[in-house]
Amino acid sequence: MVQLRPRASRVPAPAIVDEGQPASEEEEEAAEHGLLLGQPSSGAAAEPLEEDDEEGDDGFDDEAPEELTFASAQAEAREAERRVRESVRRDKTLLKEKRKRREELFIEQKKRKLLPESILEKLTTAAPTKACSRARRSSLLTPPSRIKTSSGKLKEANLQKKNEDSEKGSDSKKAKLQKVQSVGQNKSYLALRLKDQDLRDSRQQAAKAFIQNSLYGPGTNRTTVNKFLSLENKRLPVKKAAAQFLNNAWGTQKKQNAKRFKRRWMIRKMKASKK
Amino acid sequence: MGEFKVHRVRFFNYVPSGIRCVAYNNQSNRLAVSRTDGTVEIYNLSANYFQEKFFPGHESRGTEALCWAKGQRLFSAGLNGEIIEYDLQALNIKYAIDAFGGPIWSMAVSPCGSQLLVGCEDGSVKLLQITPDKIQFERNFDRQKRSAVHKMLVDRQYMGVSKRKCIIWGVAFLSDGTVISVDSAGKVQFWDSATGTLVKNHLIANADVQSIAVSDQEDSFVVGTAEGTVFHFQLVSVTSSSSEKQWVRTKPFQHHTHDVRAVAHSPTALISGGTDTHLVIRPLMEKVEVKNYDAALRKITFPHRRLISCSKKRHLLLFQFAHHLELWRLGSTVATGKNGDTLPLSKDADHLLHLKAKGPENIICSCISPCGSWIAYSTTSRFFLYRLNYERDNLSLQRVSKMPAFLRSALQILFSEDSTKLFVASNQGSLHIIRLLEGSFKHLHTFQPQSGTVESMCLLAVSPDGNWLAASGTSAGVHVYNVKHLKLHCTVPAYNFPVTALAIAPSTNNLVIAHSDQQVFEYSIPEKKYTEWSRTIQKQGFHYLWLQRDTPITHISFHPKRPMHILLHDAYMFCIIDKSLPLPNDKTLLYNPLPPTNESDVIRRRTAHAFKISKIYKPLLFMDLLDERTLVAVERPLDDIIAQLPPPIKKKKFGT
Repeated sequence: MVQLRPRASRVPAPAIVDEGQPASEEEEEAAEHGLLLGQPSSGAAAEPLEEDDEEGDDGFDDEAPEELTFASAQAEAREAERRVRESVRRDKTLLKEKRKRREELFIEQKKRKLLPESILEKLTTAAPTKACSRARRSSLLTPPSRIKTSSGKLKEANLQKKNEDSEKGSDSKKAKLQKVQSVGQNKSYLALRLKDQDLRDSRQQAAKAFIQNSLYGPGTNRTTVNKFLSLENKRLPVKKAAAQFLNNAWGTQKKQNAKRFKRRWMIRKMKASKK
Repeated sequence: MGEFKVHRVRFFNYVPSGIRCVAYNNQSNRLAVSRTDGTVEIYNLSANYFQEKFFPGHESRGTEALCWAKGQRLFSAGLNGEIIEYDLQALNIKYAIDAFGGPIWSMAVSPCGSQLLVGCEDGSVKLLQITPDKIQFERNFDRQKRSAVHKMLVDRQYMGVSKRKCIIWGVAFLSDGTVISVDSAGKVQFWDSATGTLVKNHLIANADVQSIAVSDQEDSFVVGTAEGTVFHFQLVSVTSSSSEKQWVRTKPFQHHTHDVRAVAHSPTALISGGTDTHLVIRPLMEKVEVKNYDAALRKITFPHRRLISCSKKRHLLLFQFAHHLELWRLGSTVATGKNGDTLPLSKDADHLLHLKAKGPENIICSCISPCGSWIAYSTTSRFFLYRLNYERDNLSLQRVSKMPAFLRSALQILFSEDSTKLFVASNQGSLHIIRLLEGSFKHLHTFQPQSGTVESMCLLAVSPDGNWLAASGTSAGVHVYNVKHLKLHCTVPAYNFPVTALAIAPSTNNLVIAHSDQQVFEYSIPEKKYTEWSRTIQKQGFHYLWLQRDTPITHISFHPKRPMHILLHDAYMFCIIDKSLPLPNDKTLLYNPLPPTNESDVIRRRTAHAFKISKIYKPLLFMDLLDERTLVAVERPLDDIIAQLPPPIKKKKFGT
């Protein structure tokens, strides 16, 4: 048997299973190391190893290469792993810290914008009588007992609700209509979410536009009232003029100016003649 | 009778809004009509087609569907997604429920009358239960499982057929499974719901067919087209002996010029209404039992209440529109002439004031005081009182603020003759008396509603000496109150037709009441009984031509110096009743024109009777006596209304 030089056994590939962590240089080196060391133990293959080592040695040609025991190499590799893991952990914690700080900042800002707690308490606890939820979710649709107040009151209710809305954010998604007893005053009003009102208005506008378009839009066979009423006049044995022959709306501004000018001129003339 | 100078006024630019939906109630023979500005009017078809109640409109409330439910309850649904119930006794809106489905396109009531179905924009059909107080959401049908549970399901679909998309405007579902659809291509199609196939196709018009209504017996239906034609379809047997029946188009009616957007079918008549603002009721000859004047065509164009008030001292007219008021001063002339001359104006009529109402609601009623210094008007939520100051040629307006809340939603406003008191009839049935002071007011008294149900809109009349106030509108009759002692004086016995006009004569304090069946009563307030003249004419009866008039009497006034004269008018005539002359019987000529001067006295004496009728000025919206020698007549020619309507369908005629 040929006594082979003691060779470090193949070091197991570094078992660093970090997702997404880029391989550090040490890791790569370790992998290389392992690969190099893991080459088949043949004499021919062994030689380049020695050569490398020798080149690395820088002069010490006859010196035996450093003894790299398995344990030391393993320890090194483990060190490398640990370092990599530490760095990853540090990065993670750093990011976490950052996010935490950001959250706190946002909460602070939100708190600043909200109304003081006391008023919010009062509003929510003071008899929210009938909150209507979406019909699809519940089987019972109970209407508010008070009909919608006049436009004047609704406007001030809308303004108040608008302020509240921008502060509370999306908390009140479910409650569409809430009858709220006002605080301090003896009037009661109906608070509406403005976003819903816009949506409803836009749908109503779309529906109205659809009807208008289908009745009077392009493609319908419509004519003016003047032409319609003048049809008989055209077919009489003695043809008459159209029903609205004169366009009284022509030049209204001009006529008004002329009238004013005439009045002023008359006054001036009268004054001049009096003198 | 006397000679009068007549101010002929044609600058009242009154344009009614088009009719959008019509719903007929069989039990009470009433018709609910909704207009495009949101007004809902109730017509009593058995009381000579009189408009007895109305609910003022709102800018955001356009109705798409109207229906009656069990127990005389009226519901409407519109594009704002709300279902509204109207309170016919308190004359306001009971409540409005949002159906949470987007704009509502159609609504139907189940045959038993206890359930309501609405078809919404998002494709769902919602079923609501009608409870004694309100309506309650019960179920929601999604687009797929729209099961035809109820008989009459009027729904709206949007189908793409050819290049220009064909819109189905109306659908009717019969109990034998036939579905009738009318669409914008001018077709009436019969489908079989079991197999889902087209059975018959009728092309009846070149334009859209926009509405359909089926009778209760399901043997006839009526459709309305955009050209203004109304077609009647009937189920007739194929031959006289066979039992097989088929649908045949029987009668066309052309009573409209513009789109007919709503039709209804009562047991005896076809009702149609559309963009040209007329309401046409056509009794079907084969269904009418007695062929008298009741079977004639009725066309309701002009309002059944007064929209104009007049200040006699200053010659001012106040015109009430839906969202604003206009104040005009009448012109004057110094010329004189003979009978029939047109006198030139030395000073033109002046448009003094254009007062816009605040808010989206329509104005319910308005009034100007006889001295011309106060204007009052009311909407559903507010009451407005303005003080006018005239300084030489200028006019300044000042609003009286902080009007009390109980004055809102007033049905009728009236000022006393000396303009110191304001009488307001509110929709809750109570009457308020307010004393007017310089720039402010003081609430004097409120008369609580008396017993009896509300039958029609309240009308008020005050005596010129300020002692008596008469109020009508309940089933108990006309109440007369003593203003000085602030208590109820007496009640005129109830009559089964609603009151259309009310007035109290100056010196005799006789209350003259005109009803919708053209009966005129005269009641003496101090004596608490009908006058002799009234009894005489009731015994003899009115002339048959008088009773056959179409339009109700809307205003009664009196001559200050001649207590025997009563001046009244309706839309097509004005009449001066001379109580000293003999009454006409059915054989005499009612409408006798002024005899020429060379006629012999004998003939003149023979044809003279109490009713002096003139049809020179028509259509009349208002007529009043300004002073002893002057009359004012506000006319509204029909052509002027038509000239401001939306465009109609083009009709191609040969040679034009």
